[in-house]
Amino acid sequence: MLRESQSAVVVRNEVWRGCLASEPYEAGWAQEVTLFVLALKESIGAPGNAHVEISPDGIHWAREGTSFALPTRKDAVTFARVGHFGNWLRLAIEMPDGAELTAVATIHTKA
Amino acid sequence: MQTPEDTGQTEALRRAILLADPKLSRFDPLPRIICFDDFDQGFCGWTQLMGNYENDIDCVTPSYAQHTQPMLSNLTTWDFGSHGAFDGTYALKIATRPRAGSRNVGIKRLTFRRRGPIRLEFYFTFKPEANELRLSESDVRSVGFGYDLQVGDGDADAFRIMPQVRFLNAEHGEHVQKWQFKRETTPFRSLGTENKTVTHDHLANENWLDLPGGHQKLCYNEIPTKVNWHYACFDFDLATMQATGFRCNDRAFDVGTFESIRIPAMRNLWCMLNIFFFADTDIDKRTFFYLDSVCLSGEF
Repeated sequence: MLRESQSAVVVRNEVWRGCLASEPYEAGWAQEVTLFVLALKESIGAPGNAHVEISPDGIHWAREGTSFALPTRKDAVTFARVGHFGNWLRLAIEMPDGAELTAVATIHTKA
Repeated sequence: MQTPEDTGQTEALRRAILLADPKLSRFDPLPRIICFDDFDQGFCGWTQLMGNYENDIDCVTPSYAQHTQPMLSNLTTWDFGSHGAFDGTYALKIATRPRAGSRNVGIKRLTFRRRGPIRLEFYFTFKPEANELRLSESDVRSVGFGYDLQVGDGDADAFRIMPQVRFLNAEHGEHVQKWQFKRETTPFRSLGTENKTVTHDHLANENWLDLPGGHQKLCYNEIPTKVNWHYACFDFDLATMQATGFRCNDRAFDVGTFESIRIPAMRNLWCMLNIFFFADTDIDKRTFFYLDSVCLSGEF
């Protein structure tokens, strides 16, 4: 049996400002995950960081401990790799006042 | 040459094999199984419905831009843990965003080999996100399914047709619970600069019509985290492009007045056979539409 894998676009062409989170993504079947953020445009200001969050139920969330800098240049990507995340994942975004990023966020899971 | 007796024996053998197969025994497929998607086996070719664009991603219609990827879910709840699927662990999950009117669509893209009868069978359930300690039975607006079809390039007629069915669970807080169909889409809009791409929103909340006798009280269960699985079967004839039957659990519905959205053929969609499932929410809370398994079969 081949290992299941999936690439999910969870944010597409959204303008990020301030604090926000991607929609909950359920992937209890997966053992490993890589999360990417792609900048569709040059950022306005320094966009700050993305934080991986996990959840017992898809409703209540906690920081997993992995964070990474958001990309600033158009077409640049940044990413993080995570294992042992349970069932749910999302990206929490914290951007400084005045900063803005037009982003694509993807979650790549593998059994 | 096969005699009628041979044909009868073949059919009896086919049926016996189906009934003895624990996976397929709960389906009534036509002779040829086009696909049998058990989501314990993975995504099986189901993906998100991406809106059309040309040169610029900003031109995607907002009702499509909101769509997200379906997930494989074990239906875990905050109060008692994983629910699991009809059989095995996983179901395909189509989740809306937590905004009233938000919609999501899962789609599988095929083409057909012959214009004849096809049958879509699936086991499904739905629930709102269980983030309140109340029954929440009128939070899901609707769940539904449909085909996006276009005739072959050699056919005398040239059109695209979209039969669509939804279970309108609730509207403006009223627990409606009825099946509906749709024969009108929104006006077409050109995208980009090359005159090659257009868009329309065939799943918009407007212009749904009641299926006669289409009220049905489904098993919702008693708290917002318990689900029960339902069976649905939709028969359609690609030769006449007419619906020929619709069943859900113990009820068979009259499709005599059923009509589909019918629009001119498009230059790139010949023999298209897309299947889609969709859901939308009536309030600012996510709707979850789960599919345990889908069986598409045909007579060819």
